[in-house]
Amino acid sequence: MTNLFGSDAYVKMAMMNGGGMAGGGMGGGCGPAGITGNCGLHPDAPATPGIVTPDIEFFRVTFMQGNQVINGVNVPVWGFNDGAAGGGGMGGGFPAPAIRVRQGQIVHTHLNAMAMMVPHTIHHHGIEPATFNDGVGHYSFDVFGDYTYQWRASQAGTYFYHCHVNTVLHAEMGMYGALIVDPPTGPGTAFVGGPAYDVEAIWAVDDIDPTWHCLPWNAALCGGDAGFNNFNPTLFCINGLGADLTQTDPTVAITVPRGQTLLLRYIMAGYVPQRVKFPAGIGAVSVISEDGRPLAAPQTLVAGSSVSMTSAERYEFIIKPTTAGTFPVDIAYFNYRAISGTLNQIGTIRSVITVT
Amino acid sequence: MKIKRRDFLRMGTGAVVATMAGASGLLTWAPRALAQTIAVSLTAMKGNVTQIDGVATFMFGFSNTGLLTVPGPTIICQAGDTILLALSNTLNTPVVIAIPGTSIKLTAPAGGTTQISFAAPAPGSYLYCDTQNSGVNRIMGLHGSLVVMPAGIKNQAFSGGPTFKRQFKWLLGNVDPVWGNAVQANGDNYVASIVPSSFQPRYFTVNGNSYDKTGEPNSALYGLYNDAALVRLMNAGGMVHSPHFHGNHVEICSINRQNFGSNRKQKDVCSMYPLDCRDVIYPFKRPPDAWPAVINEVQNYPMHCHSEMSQTAGGGMYPHGMHCMLTLGTAPTTEPDLTLGVAQLP
Repeated sequence: MTNLFGSDAYVKMAMMNGGGMAGGGMGGGCGPAGITGNCGLHPDAPATPGIVTPDIEFFRVTFMQGNQVINGVNVPVWGFNDGAAGGGGMGGGFPAPAIRVRQGQIVHTHLNAMAMMVPHTIHHHGIEPATFNDGVGHYSFDVFGDYTYQWRASQAGTYFYHCHVNTVLHAEMGMYGALIVDPPTGPGTAFVGGPAYDVEAIWAVDDIDPTWHCLPWNAALCGGDAGFNNFNPTLFCINGLGADLTQTDPTVAITVPRGQTLLLRYIMAGYVPQRVKFPAGIGAVSVISEDGRPLAAPQTLVAGSSVSMTSAERYEFIIKPTTAGTFPVDIAYFNYRAISGTLNQIGTIRSVITVT
Repeated sequence: MKIKRRDFLRMGTGAVVATMAGASGLLTWAPRALAQTIAVSLTAMKGNVTQIDGVATFMFGFSNTGLLTVPGPTIICQAGDTILLALSNTLNTPVVIAIPGTSIKLTAPAGGTTQISFAAPAPGSYLYCDTQNSGVNRIMGLHGSLVVMPAGIKNQAFSGGPTFKRQFKWLLGNVDPVWGNAVQANGDNYVASIVPSSFQPRYFTVNGNSYDKTGEPNSALYGLYNDAALVRLMNAGGMVHSPHFHGNHVEICSINRQNFGSNRKQKDVCSMYPLDCRDVIYPFKRPPDAWPAVINEVQNYPMHCHSEMSQTAGGGMYPHGMHCMLTLGTAPTTEPDLTLGVAQLP
């Protein structure tokens, strides 16, 4: 195994795979596949250092032949299936099934990356394990085969996990899922000493450039110009659902009875800046945690406020609505190019909070 | 206050301290009991800068060495100091040096010179840059950083702020080679004809370098456990960046000189909008979620921007973009320039 700090950081993928892969068209992309050239990859499937019996474990199997209809557009996607639930590597959707653990638990995340189009990793974003279990290939290794990530959840909060190989493409293709750390008492309280909640919603809010999803599966994996500096999303989604469904599908649209407390876990899963605007009708919104760390004191936003965020942030919002009705939550997306500092809006998506 | 060149030269003798910044490094820093006058002489120039994939890109830059440097040298001073800033413009287009967040600004005509004297602004991190053409000149390379330390304090960015063992500066930048080619072909003044919305960055840098070229002492973070580091992030680029720290969360200490003396947020992402200056503490704690727990073993992590377009070079080559190395559990072999002076203090 070599890495960024090694003397030989390059491995020929063609050698690893016996002379290249004739996987044309198999990557969920719309063009031919096949690895050529020297890649800055470090494929490996080592034993987990200091492995112990976990308190909880998850099984994730990669796939790269999925399709998902987003606002009427059929988009090739990649992701992780739940191996424990019988999910294989031959297709699926995104986001991946959530990983949910309790603070203090020792966790095993088993990654199976045996399909043709490898390698992959799992980076538990916001979780801070040892380098070996951090899932960053150029600092440790890229998984070709099986690897068990071992870590211990130190702080309740909202996180996510994603593949960290050629991340610019793999995360865009859908290789991510929510990661929730509950306090030792389990769901119902945000964190030790934090607020209790009655209703919980998890939103992973993403942006999609469909042209990227038609690239060869190994686009720029070994160098070359795939246009990855040029991202122009035209599809917007919450939990993988487009604007045609986000106001009605119960996995996104939120229903909360008056007098109850809603915890909205917001995962900024896109690449371009977002701004979420809460409706005045739901009253004040409290930010209780950011990036998996409780705020020293909740930050109360007056009714009708907006929150701007950039890629990979997470926010926990507490909402206690008192007025019945259906209230829109509008998310605006902005061009990441903003040389004067002024952001230009490029898209929106809406969901609703229905207060009964 | 603008000063005449003759007055500037007169003040340039005696009490004036000349700057010695390197191409991308910080001046050696040691707090002083008394304020000083700091003389800085910059030349606006042009040339080719080689990016991480070997491509030469035509850029402008501010230099104090006679060689093109992008970004320009870092100016370091302490509250109470006076800065004497002279600008010699070798370009065939006017050049501005402004410090966003202040009213400090000077302009040198094409081929001309100018100078200014100003009091150091409030302690904090600042960009200096050419603000003309909606930011086009800044993106072309006319930018650098100004660090103002509180008077007499060696280990806090502001009085009452968190203490640090070392401090680093990460000046984030973007390169659009199409713009550079157009200016090279049509003349320096073509910057005024570039449409800002045509911006398409193709290289993404920290202190002028990308990925594994960011190992220089002011970019790569090293430290023993609990050797807290102050990192001054400044976005001279034209892209909204989202630096993500592995290994530890950071404490947000200040956003554009709004200082947080207590109740600092802990984040693993530090949003960086264009022209933003944000100071964070990377605490060098043992990674909290490791099992088995890390005792004193060295751990290596990246900081990388999570707006992943920035993780590329020339349209691909992941992860050869905006990235720095974080090495926990070992001290640097070469101290960052800002700390060198600090360590020598009683």
